[in-house]
Amino acid sequence: MLTYILRRTLYMIPLLLIVSLISFSLIHLMPGDYMTTARLNPQITEETFRAQVARYGLDRPFIIQYWFWLKNVVRGDFGKSFDTRMGVFKTLFFGNRLLWTIILASTTLVLTWLLAIPIGIYSATHQYKPSDHVVTFLGFLGLSIPNFFFALVLLWLLVVVFRVGDHGLGVGGLLDGRFYDASMSWAKFCNYLWHLWPAWLVLGTGGMAGLIRLMRGNLLDTLQLPYVQTARSKGLTERVVIYKHAVRNAINPLVTVLGLTLPTLVGGSVITAIVLNLPTVGRAFFSALQRQDNPVIMGALLFFSLFLLIGNLIADFLLAWVDPRIRYN
Amino acid sequence: MKNVLILAGLLLVSSLAVFGQGYDAMPADAHVIPIGVDGTAYADLELGVQGGTLNIANIEDPKAWNNHTAHETSTTWFTYRMHKGLVALDHITGAIVPDFAKSYEISEDGLVLTFHLREGIKWSDGTPLTADDVLFTYNDVVLNEDVDCNSRDGQLLPDGTYPICEKVDDYTVTFTLSTIFRPILNSIGVNIMPKHKLAQYVHKLNPDVPAGTFNETWTLETPLDELVGNGPWIVTDYQVNVSVTMERNPYYYGYDPAGTQLPYYDKIVSHIVANQDVSMLKFRNGEVDVYGLRPEDIPILLPESASKDFSVMITDLATYGTTWFLINQDVGLADGTDDEKRELYRTVEFREALAHLIDKDTMIQNVLNGLGAPQWGPLSVPSPFYAGRDYYGGPITETDAVIFEYDPALAASKLDDLGVVDADGDGWRDLPSGAPLTIELNTNDNTLRVGYCLILQDDFRAVDLNCNFQVVDFNTLVGQLFSSTGDLIYLGLTGGDEPNSGSNVYNSCGSLHAYRYSACEDPDEVDLRIDELLGLGANTFDLDEAFEYYKEYQQLLAHQLGYVYTVLRTFQYAHYNYVGNAQAASPISTPGGNNGLLTELCFDRRI
Repeated sequence: MLTYILRRTLYMIPLLLIVSLISFSLIHLMPGDYMTTARLNPQITEETFRAQVARYGLDRPFIIQYWFWLKNVVRGDFGKSFDTRMGVFKTLFFGNRLLWTIILASTTLVLTWLLAIPIGIYSATHQYKPSDHVVTFLGFLGLSIPNFFFALVLLWLLVVVFRVGDHGLGVGGLLDGRFYDASMSWAKFCNYLWHLWPAWLVLGTGGMAGLIRLMRGNLLDTLQLPYVQTARSKGLTERVVIYKHAVRNAINPLVTVLGLTLPTLVGGSVITAIVLNLPTVGRAFFSALQRQDNPVIMGALLFFSLFLLIGNLIADFLLAWVDPRIRYN
Repeated sequence: MKNVLILAGLLLVSSLAVFGQGYDAMPADAHVIPIGVDGTAYADLELGVQGGTLNIANIEDPKAWNNHTAHETSTTWFTYRMHKGLVALDHITGAIVPDFAKSYEISEDGLVLTFHLREGIKWSDGTPLTADDVLFTYNDVVLNEDVDCNSRDGQLLPDGTYPICEKVDDYTVTFTLSTIFRPILNSIGVNIMPKHKLAQYVHKLNPDVPAGTFNETWTLETPLDELVGNGPWIVTDYQVNVSVTMERNPYYYGYDPAGTQLPYYDKIVSHIVANQDVSMLKFRNGEVDVYGLRPEDIPILLPESASKDFSVMITDLATYGTTWFLINQDVGLADGTDDEKRELYRTVEFREALAHLIDKDTMIQNVLNGLGAPQWGPLSVPSPFYAGRDYYGGPITETDAVIFEYDPALAASKLDDLGVVDADGDGWRDLPSGAPLTIELNTNDNTLRVGYCLILQDDFRAVDLNCNFQVVDFNTLVGQLFSSTGDLIYLGLTGGDEPNSGSNVYNSCGSLHAYRYSACEDPDEVDLRIDELLGLGANTFDLDEAFEYYKEYQQLLAHQLGYVYTVLRTFQYAHYNYVGNAQAASPISTPGGNNGLLTELCFDRRI
């Protein structure tokens, strides 16, 4: 197993190298660069403009820029953000962005699973009944509404229809202004929850439908298997048959999904985080994309790719762990 | 319990150390803003009381806290509030007035500017502020090649030298010029930085730090209590992607006539929001007190204003900047194609015909909900040099405006005279030779500009000019502009009060002379006169004389129709009625802008 993990880890190196080359080319294919907006500033002279372009190395040919970037990365230097003049990862993770990303992603994940698995089981055990259809419909509704739109509509509902401002409640962000410099208290904690639930709702509904369908399908498959029939014929109660025997096996393939969900949660919440004003790594990435802050874009892409590869590795590893029949040798 | 008391004591001491206690009494040299004083521009305002928090919204996060290496307004919005310069722009008169300097004088020969600083003023940490700080800022930061500073270009004199900044005594500095250059007054007021905090990061003064260190000083990771300023506000809290809090500087030198230190508000909290839509939701939710609104917000906000107790202020003040389309007179020059089209675009009668086709009223009504003003010249309307005024800083009468009325019939007859008629009977006008003429009109993905262009396309087509409008990526558009590969490009430029800051655009060799770059090698009479007027306007400190030069310059450019000006938004904002003196908000200095004297100094929280 250990050699397997080691081998998989080593495979990541050429993969990341290819990812970096493709990303670098894509960035280069975007029209303009970090200095394009400065060209339209009448206050900046041509000489200053050229000096700045040279300072950022943007006047060099693409392949040379990539070579210099790669050389520095191998030495552990990912460069500095053009915008903030701080290190790339410092810019991405600045303030508690990494922490908030992890908090948001993990709480959403837990909530989604806590809701989706029981709903999936319910759906499977009530196959084709009206309640199954209702649950499935709601799940698909959540999946099909674009997250940014859902988030905007939610804000609009809170402000205009429910008029939460009349009760002194804010929308978006992490806290209401009056709690900024307050020390931690029950009221402050509740205010955090008040600001986080729209994010959970928006992000959670997006991921839930797939999970419900998967759980439903797996359980339905399992329920057809001979050993379930044996269990039933032994006179076990339906509850024991389903929860003790069928669900435990049906849930195995979902473990793979768990590993694969992690990277999408980290990278996929960008637009929601922007609309709901939450400090996440994805937002720093988005801002860098808008400003064409190349070092930060590259750093973020590598970070996300690494997360994806690790998520895959974890998925494979978990699968081997829960299913003794699988061995990677 | 004892530990708690010690901790509380330490916290108290440290907060006093960071923030000091302010002046014992109003300094003799305080800057008194004549709030409520009859006969001044501030007569309508009322004296306020200190206290409260002003909430506003900004779209983007600051990128650093370093005023002189900042490249974007999301950063300078904050740094301009922490640091003030020698002179500033009066937001009502548009004139240059003393700010940190209490007065200044210009020598008889116009070559020496002497500034007298306010005495007894301190930095926000209580350290005295003297001429040494001014010298440090000018000589060691702004003019230092090692510092990546955008305001250095503004200090350049026409002969390629920089002013020489010298100290006379602790409270007097002089700037010696090699040649008379009036616009230097606008740029010399660079925001002053604290030498006692920053000199250690300047390689020239402290060789122990590597070159370029200053550029990486006062970044976002700098502890906020390191930031020291002389402006009205100091950043005290930053929640990434969420908010920036600024608190009053206890040592700010601004006071009202009753001796109350300004600003009246204790704090200003800038909420960082995703976009204007969220910004407006936050205003409607009562989380933001003042909101600079868009034309499309008015129908939503007006009906709500009574029940929620806020006011929607509709003004007819045009905002800064210009909106135009350029007719590329060098089209096809680089690759030797489109000779006839280029010839046509270079004919002023053809450009006049296009100018007569702009239906500015419809643009204002349909795109701006009626909240706009037509624009005819290159200079921002609020500028005291604007040619629609009768004299420097005078009222706007538009007596001498150069206006091409919307007149499709006249445009059609001008086109007929040029031989631009439908030769092949396909319903579209052709070039004089009979070859088909297609006008490519491009702009970027900006709702307003797209709206203007659609109207423009209709106007052109109404007289059978085949116009093909396309939205392209912003950077692609900028690329077209600089490589002279576009046809008609619709864009806008930022603008200010100083006509000379447009020299990069209108001087025949300017890097933004995008309607005809070839004018640099091959200028015509008008180009030469424009270059000459720019020089003359800059070469005198007599404002009335300069006004006359700039007036002719603006009229010439309007007739030349290189950039063809269209319409501008007027300034609208909304504020909750508990914000006192909010009528002082102006397009120059609102919580949304950051030039000059800040009007928010006069705002106060009413109960």
